[in-house]
Amino acid sequence: MAEAAETLTTSTEQPEASAGLPQFQFQHWAGQIAYLLILFVILYVLMLRVFAPRIRRIFDQRETTINDAIASARQVQAEAAAQAEAARTALAGARGKAQKTASDAKAKAEAEAKARQAVEEAKLNERLAVAETEIRAARDSAMANVNTVATETAQAIIEKLTGKAASNDQLDAALAKLQG
Amino acid sequence: MAADPIHQFQITKLVDFGQVTLPLFGKTDLAFTNSHLAMTIAFVLIVGFLTIVTSNMQVVPGRTQAVGEQLFSMIDNLGESIIGHEGKKLFPFVFTIFSFILAMNIIGLLLTFTVTSQLAVTATFGLMTIALVIIIGFAKHGLGFFKLFVPSGVPIVLLPVIVLIEFVSFLLRPVTLALRLFGNMLGGHVALKVFAGFVVALGALAAGGGIGLLGIPGAALSLSMVVALTALECLVAFLQAFVFAVLTCIYLNDVVNLGHGH
Repeated sequence: MAEAAETLTTSTEQPEASAGLPQFQFQHWAGQIAYLLILFVILYVLMLRVFAPRIRRIFDQRETTINDAIASARQVQAEAAAQAEAARTALAGARGKAQKTASDAKAKAEAEAKARQAVEEAKLNERLAVAETEIRAARDSAMANVNTVATETAQAIIEKLTGKAASNDQLDAALAKLQG
Repeated sequence: MAADPIHQFQITKLVDFGQVTLPLFGKTDLAFTNSHLAMTIAFVLIVGFLTIVTSNMQVVPGRTQAVGEQLFSMIDNLGESIIGHEGKKLFPFVFTIFSFILAMNIIGLLLTFTVTSQLAVTATFGLMTIALVIIIGFAKHGLGFFKLFVPSGVPIVLLPVIVLIEFVSFLLRPVTLALRLFGNMLGGHVALKVFAGFVVALGALAAGGGIGLLGIPGAALSLSMVVALTALECLVAFLQAFVFAVLTCIYLNDVVNLGHGH
C-alpha cells in the first residue's frame, strides 16, 4: 500500500485537476484510517464499559420493577379474593346460624306449646276423671238408692196387698230377678 | 461548471503536521483534515448523546432516553435475533459500528464533510468487521473455522466448486461492505450536488432575461428534486448504517454459530 500511495502522490500532486475521484488520492488514506481506528477503539471501549452496561442496568431495573409490580398486584388480587372468600364463608355461616337460631326458636316454641298443651290436657283429663268418678259415684249411690227405694216400695206394696211383710231375702231375690 | 459535484469529496488539510514516517504505512502526510474534523464531530456527537441518555436514567424514560433506548434495543434485538444468545457479547461492536456510521452519514448530509463517502473509511469498517469474524472464527473453532466454506449436505462431486464459491464470496464480503456504503453515499451526494448546481445554473440563465427566463421552471423543478433527494438521503443515511449492522451480525453469526446455524 505504501508504494501505491507514493506513486499516486506523485501523479496527483495537483488534486484540483480532474484526476478522478478524490477518494482515490491515497496519500490521505493512512491518516484517515489511523484516526478512524483510534476513534473506533475509544468508542468501542466506551460502549463496552460505560454505555451498554448503563442501558442494560436500566433495562434490568425496569424489568424487575414491572415484575415486582405484577407480583404485588397478583398478591393483592389473591388477598382480595381470599377476603371475598372469607366474607362469603362468614355470610354463609351467619346465614346458617340465623337459620339454626330460627329453627331452634321454632322448635323450642313448639316444644313449649306442646308441653303446655300436655299440661293442660293432663289437667283436663284429671278434671275429667274426677268428674267421671263423681258422676259414677253419684250414679252408683243413685242406683243404690234406687235399690233401696225399690225394696222399700216393694215391701210397702206387698204389705199393703198381702197384709204381711215380705222378708228381705225374698225381696232381694225378686230384685235380682228383675235386674238380671 | 463552477460547482464540481466531485469537489465536495476533496480532502483539505486544516492543520498540517508535515510528513512523517509511520511504521505500518511508510511515509505519510500527517494532517488534521476536514475528514478528521467530521469524524471528530461524529464521535463527539455520539458520546455526547449517549452521555445525555445514560447519565440520569429513569425507569420511566424521558424523550431523549427513549430515543437512545430505542436505538439501543433495535441493535440489541437485531443481534439477538440473528446471532442468538451470544449476540449480547458482540453487541458493543455492532452498536459502535452502527452509531458511528449513522452519525457520519447524518452529519455528512446535514452539516459537514461526508466521511462515509471516503473509500478509506468504509474499507476500514469492512475490514474491521471481517477481521473480527476471522478472529472469532479461529478463537472459537480453531481450524474448524474452515468448515465455514464447506456447507453440510453438499454432494461430493459439487464440493470443490461450492468450496471455491464460498471462499470467494467470503473474500468479497469486506469489499461489498465497503463499496455498498461508499457507493450509496457517493451517489447520493453527487446527485444532490448536480441538482443543486442545476438550480444555480438555470437561475443564472434566467437572470440574463429573454429566452433564458425558461430556466425558471427548470430551476424550480431542480430545487424540488433537491428537497426530495435530501429526504431520500436521510432515509439512506439511516438505512445504510442499519444494513451495515445487519450484515455485520449475519457475518458474525456465521462463525459464532458455526456448524449449527446454516
